[in-house]
Parts: sequence; C-alpha cells; structure tokens
Amino acid sequence: MKIIGEWFVLLPAAVLLLAAGASVVMRNLIHAALCLTLSFIALGIVFIALGAEFVGFVQLLVYVGAVAMLIVFAILLTRPDRLTKSGTPFSGLGPAGGAATGFAALVVLLAFIFSSPLAKKPLPAPASAPVAAIGGALMGNDVVALIVIGVLLTAALVGAAVLAMEDKP
Amino acid sequence: MTGMIERAPIEILGWFLGLLGSFGVPGWILAAVSAVIIIGTVIGIFLGLFALTSVMERKILARVQNRYGPNRVGPFGLFQPVADGIKMITKEDLVPRTADKAVHFLAPVVMMVPALMVLAIIPYGRDMVPAELNSGILYFFAVGAGTEVAVFMAGWASNNKYSVLGAMRAIAQMISYELPLVISAIVAAMIAGSLSPSAIVAAQGGFAFGFVPQWFVLTPWGFTACLVFYIAALAEANRSPFDLPEGESELVAGHLTEYSGFKYATFFMAEYVGMFAVCGMLVTLFLGGWQAPLPFLTIVPSWCWFFAKVCFVAFTMIWVRATLPRLRIDHLLAFAWKFLLPMSFAAFLSAACWHYAGRGPLAWLLSLAIVGIPYLILGNSFTNRFAVSRRTYQFSE
Repeated sequence: MKIIGEWFVLLPAAVLLLAAGASVVMRNLIHAALCLTLSFIALGIVFIALGAEFVGFVQLLVYVGAVAMLIVFAILLTRPDRLTKSGTPFSGLGPAGGAATGFAALVVLLAFIFSSPLAKKPLPAPASAPVAAIGGALMGNDVVALIVIGVLLTAALVGAAVLAMEDKP
Repeated sequence: MTGMIERAPIEILGWFLGLLGSFGVPGWILAAVSAVIIIGTVIGIFLGLFALTSVMERKILARVQNRYGPNRVGPFGLFQPVADGIKMITKEDLVPRTADKAVHFLAPVVMMVPALMVLAIIPYGRDMVPAELNSGILYFFAVGAGTEVAVFMAGWASNNKYSVLGAMRAIAQMISYELPLVISAIVAAMIAGSLSPSAIVAAQGGFAFGFVPQWFVLTPWGFTACLVFYIAALAEANRSPFDLPEGESELVAGHLTEYSGFKYATFFMAEYVGMFAVCGMLVTLFLGGWQAPLPFLTIVPSWCWFFAKVCFVAFTMIWVRATLPRLRIDHLLAFAWKFLLPMSFAAFLSAACWHYAGRGPLAWLLSLAIVGIPYLILGNSFTNRFAVSRRTYQFSE
C-alpha cells in the first residue's frame, strides 16, 4: 500500500503549508496564532508519519503545548486593544518583494540540505528501541547538547524570576 | 472458564472478522472495520461511564452533604443523564453577537478530540490495548496538551473580560501542574524501563513472597509519585479543589461563561472523559493496570480489575471534591511550583536510588529517607508562612 503510505505524509504536509501561509496572510492576530498552532500539529503528524515517533510527539508536546501558548500570551499581554495587523508593511518591499525573498531563502536552504554529507549517506535502519537509543546518545556521545539545554533553561528561569520580582525601592 | 471470559472481547472480535473474511472481504477493509469496532467500543464504554458518573457524582456529593441526590428520574435517579441530555439538546444555543464565531464553535471540538484520542493507549486488559505504541506515555501527554489550546480558544472567543481572565488562569494552572504530572509518570516509566503502557503494567506483575503484589504504589517512591500524579491530575482536569477556573462563585464559570446547551455539554463531557482517561493512566502507571492484587483473585477477568480500579480512583476524586475547599489561584500555583515539583524530583531520585541499591532493606530505607525528608521540610515551610499569629482585639469605646 505504498500510495496510502505516501499520502500519510503528503496530506499533513499540505495542511502544514496551507496553515503556515494562512497564518502569514491573516489580519486577525489571534486567528494567525491559531493557524500557526495548526501548522505545528501538522508538522508533528508529518514526523510521526515518517517514522520518527519520538520527535513527532515531542513536537506536539513542546510546540502545541508550550510555544503556542507562549505566542498567544505574548499577543494578549502586549497588545490587547488592537488585534488586527496594521496596514503598513514593515519594510518597503511589498508582497512581490516578500515572495521573492522567501523564494530566495528556500533556494538557499535546499542547496544547503542537498549538498550536506547527510544527504549523500544511505538512510540507517531504524533502531528497534528508538527512545532508548536517543537517551543513550544524549547521555553518551551528545551529552554537550544536554548540558547546553540545561544552561539555557536555567538562564530562562533566572530571567523569569528577575522579571517577576517586585522592584525594591 | 475464566480464561474464556477474560478473552471474550478479543475472541468475539476475531470471530466477527473471520465471518466477514469468509465473505471475501479484502484485508485492508477488515483492518478498518476492526479499528472502527474497537474505537466504537472504547468510546461507547467511556461515554456510558460519563453518563453514570454525572449522576453518581451528584448522589455521592449529596450523601456526603447529608441529603439525597437526584432520585426522581428512574430507579434511584439513575435515568437522570437521559433527562440532562434532553435538556442540553433542547436548550437554545446562544452565541454572543461580538464573539468570534469560528473559534467559539471550534473550541468544544478541540477540547473533546484530545480527551477521546488519549483513550487509545491505555491497556484495558491482558493484550487489550487499542493502539500499541512504543512511546505511549509520551503520546498521552502530547495529545493532552491540546486541551490547553481549547481552553484558550473558549475563553478568547467569548469576547468577555471574565472569560479571558478565567482562560488565562486556567492555562497558567494547567501548565504549572503539567510538570509534576509528567515527572511522576516518568518515574514509573524509568523503573519499568519503557514508555509503553503495556510494558509498565507487565513490570508490575508477579507476586513477592507469593502473595504481595508488586505494584509501584507499594514502594516509597511509587507512593509519592502516585500522590503527586493524583494531585496534578486533579488540577489538570480542573476539578475541585483546583476548579477556580470554573467555579460559579468566582469568575462566573470562567472560560465557559458564554457557552450554553450542547456546547456546554460537550465541555462537560470532555472534562469527565479526561478525568477517566487520567484515572486510567494512574491505574496503569502505579496501581498495576489490569493485574489482580492477590494470586487467587486472578480468576476475575483482567478488564474487570482495570475498571474496578478506575472506578475506585474516580470515586476518590469525587470524595475529594466533596471534602476540600477551593484553592485560591496564588496558593494553587505556589503549591505546584514549591511543593509538588520538588516532591516529584525527590520521588525521581528516590526511585533511581532504589533501583541501583539492589532490592533489599537498604534500598527501601534509602528511598524512604529521600522522599520523607523533603516532605517534612517542605510541609513545615508551608505551614510556618501561613501561621496564625497571636491576635489582639481592640474594641471601640
């Protein structure tokens, strides 16, 4: 059933592109944030359909559960009065210039991806216990990533505590 | 005989699929039909439990408060859900004129879908998991995160200051209590060595000394993690004593203020189904899932044991609702960050020490100390801050 297998990836990918495009175009900021959340969910489903279960579930847990809420709270707390996007664009490019910039960025990214050594190696066989393999790699060879994440989270917590502390006169 | 009862659901499904296959139905249609039957059965069971719980909760709350509950509709009031359903369906569906119509409509849907999807990975009996996932626990929390988006959508779309405030408080509460929930679940997954719920239930099998069950709740770290999970689950499901977002005397039902009729019923249903799902996860992680407590009780089918345990945990949740007063939002958040999170870390460390210190008395003492000392310190630190000082009264003359 190869056709159905491919549709499991293509359909969420189409939803992802449509939702991301809609979130860029929409006027109402909260609607744009919700479309972005839909694109996060679609990306998680793409990961799961490609066989990367752990990454897919972590994408759903972190992006939909935390980052989407962060975006929404940021919108609510900083501009609760005016929620439609203003008509004047940020730069003088206009829609054609924006599309050209986006296309150029896409070409550059694809060039980097296809010229990297990872694209030339054959796909390794999926591990029998992927979560255990990821855990072993994070504690073994790639422990630097874990330490950096710990430092980053500590910095974020300290920053949040400083922001939330009352100003002493 | 008992083996037949225990395997009855699987055997019936297999017989039906074999019947269809003998009519020449192709394999992939059989797989689809099997999936639809399993999904329909699970959803039907849990919606039936929801209907039963909505009346049992009112009766249990009433009995605790020394009065009868609903007892007019049907024998002992057991047909009350039918009357409630008719009322909810025939109520007028009010949408505020300035509300965001699309988001207002979608919020109950987005709330209900994760609550139902989460039921797919819970093992209901021996070999009875609807979806056998390697990282089932991760799936549970990932899908449960969709509930927070729904709460925000409900509060925002109502275009009502109180709804938005209620939604923000509800989201702050859910995010704060998600951490102790996940960490205490990871404690059980760590000792069992797998994120799959079936493997965690299987790791609690067997009987020590021939008759003592080896459930995780009967160890110091497991008891702590079970209690932390239970309290955090009460908060995630917005149930009392953490029901500030939807208390009537607080923000007029908070994010649910502008919902009436069937949409309110959908929110209600999603909350109860979510409560049962998280009870099912607690039973799976700590109370041994479908395992029987004593060796001679294994004649009772495994799915009977599972539902008995889930109903017992749900009963304790209703009991807690009847007993404890509501927590204020700052007390609630302080409790999560300053007590539950350190206790979940203590349970984590205690479980790791228990695992590596062998399984003898030293391991038990060590894990008990690692869990007990932070509990005593943290508990005392809370009471001292809110200690009542000596009061002096001054009367006007």
